Amino acid sequence: MTSAESSLANTRSGSRVPPKRRKRIPARTVVMHAIIIFFCLLVLVPLLWVLLTSVKSLRDAYTGKLWPEVFDFTHYTYVFQKMPSVLRNFANSIIVTVATVIVTTVIAILAGYALAHLRLPGAAVVGAVLLGTLFFPTRLVSIIGIFQIQRHLGLIDTLPGLILPYITLNLALSIMIMRGIFQQVSPELVDAARVDGASSWRTLIQIMLPLAANGVVVLGIVNFVTAWGEFLLAYTLTNDRFTRTFPVVLATTFGGFGEWAFPRVAAMYIMAILPGILAFTFLQRWYMKGLQEGALKF
Amino acid sequence: MARTRGWGNWIYLLPAALFFFMYMAYPILRSMWMSFTNYQYLSTEPAQFVGLQNFANALNDPLFHLGLLRAATFTAIFLPGVIFIPLFVAILVDRVGNQRLATVYRLILLIPAVIPAAMIFVLWRWLYDFEIGPINTILRDYLHLFNSFNAPQWVGVSPLALPAVAFVEIWWGLGYHTMFFLAGLASIPRELFEAARVDGASEWQMFWHVTLPRLQPIMLILVILRFGSAMAVIDDFIIMGGFNRALPTYTWTVYMWHMAFQLGTWPQGYASAVGWLGAGAMLIVVAIMMYVFRNRD
Repeated sequence: MTSAESSLANTRSGSRVPPKRRKRIPARTVVMHAIIIFFCLLVLVPLLWVLLTSVKSLRDAYTGKLWPEVFDFTHYTYVFQKMPSVLRNFANSIIVTVATVIVTTVIAILAGYALAHLRLPGAAVVGAVLLGTLFFPTRLVSIIGIFQIQRHLGLIDTLPGLILPYITLNLALSIMIMRGIFQQVSPELVDAARVDGASSWRTLIQIMLPLAANGVVVLGIVNFVTAWGEFLLAYTLTNDRFTRTFPVVLATTFGGFGEWAFPRVAAMYIMAILPGILAFTFLQRWYMKGLQEGALKF
Repeated sequence: MARTRGWGNWIYLLPAALFFFMYMAYPILRSMWMSFTNYQYLSTEPAQFVGLQNFANALNDPLFHLGLLRAATFTAIFLPGVIFIPLFVAILVDRVGNQRLATVYRLILLIPAVIPAAMIFVLWRWLYDFEIGPINTILRDYLHLFNSFNAPQWVGVSPLALPAVAFVEIWWGLGYHTMFFLAGLASIPRELFEAARVDGASEWQMFWHVTLPRLQPIMLILVILRFGSAMAVIDDFIIMGGFNRALPTYTWTVYMWHMAFQLGTWPQGYASAVGWLGAGAMLIVVAIMMYVFRNRD
């Protein structure tokens, strides 16, 4: 990789020169794009394979042909019409995810704002604790305790029993992202609002929030990905087939024959990952801006 | 509101604090307390305080040692890949002159980052499958490198299991970590390169003396963070492996979960001790790394 890197280092001067039309593209630029495209394909091909499997006819799926002879697009409707328990699992995932994303975002906005702009005794301690949780395997060490709490509260095999611990999964990271975003807003703006007699609450709602929209998008996507696909807690805290979330069902059934034939599992899989990819595609502009504005700086 | 002291502003942190104590601090402390007892979830007998007995047992438990070793092996394979490959990709993408193309590259690379973890492992368990997985299908039926007897066993009881899972984690984190490095690269003032070029530095020297030192803080943070997440990996191992002790993916984390929620009478006291010992071992390494890295700055 060193030789490749050095040859790429050589292209820096080339890429900074303003592009001239109709100029021959240097070989190293071609190599550079080829390598990037290789990595892009590495990302895309596995996903395209699932997509392809989801539209294979059952026969082609079991003969081991990569490209199907007969396409069959009915697997998606089959899942919707013939597998009520899967629909239930899907609904569970939606409920759990929406609740987690909303509550975590609200909590993180409140805390991030206070940490970035308000006088707060003990803010340094809070910051240290937040950072510390990123280095400590909290999920692993807390899971036995969480199970016992939920058992005492009668929350095993319930959706609130999942939502409550889910909110803490990304809480520290979310607060830190939001703090980073709010820190980009100049303190003078906050002071000016205070001089004008705005309460800290009004300052947050009317001045800060509109400026933090990109950060909220980042938070939404990060928490969506965590909650939508969380496995370990859901696997531990739910046992009932109808309370389980979609990822647990997918992870615990390998697929095979009958209802769970591979193309149908593939169709479920596409249904499970599509919401995230679509949301990301539509929100990518704000997401990228949010990342640049400070979501990656903590 | 108490403007002068600011205690009133804690109202903004109250919801966060509530969740933090209820579902993070308290369960962690509870698990610590349990690790000093012989608590068994399915046993009707009341738990007794046993002092350090669980810790002593765990330190003499060959399965715990093996589990730590397996996790460390996984980390050793995973860590260089998740730092250097994204760094390499970031340096390439940073040089793409066409802005639209650069955006497309970033978007494609970031797709795995918006696919939830469990989905990633389900996907790759499938890709790696010995019989019906497309990887072996290609190796066997299209390239004819193997037949159905000697085809590689990617996951399961196989020496390939840990590298295979590490590859999945690297694949998953590729775009996300590339973004970290791109943010770092973007923050390097261009004048530094101009100045170096005026001084006659070669491009390689500029990478070595300008780019790399500037990226070092990001790299060190990522090394520490990813070390922690790699040692504590569990979802991948459960989904792609399972609970067979002979599996290379049966690490200390899987062992802990297995004991706490499936084995025998669910000895959660002992499982907590295993969890705390593993976490403690990790934290010691993290502390050493922080100390070493701090000196280097």
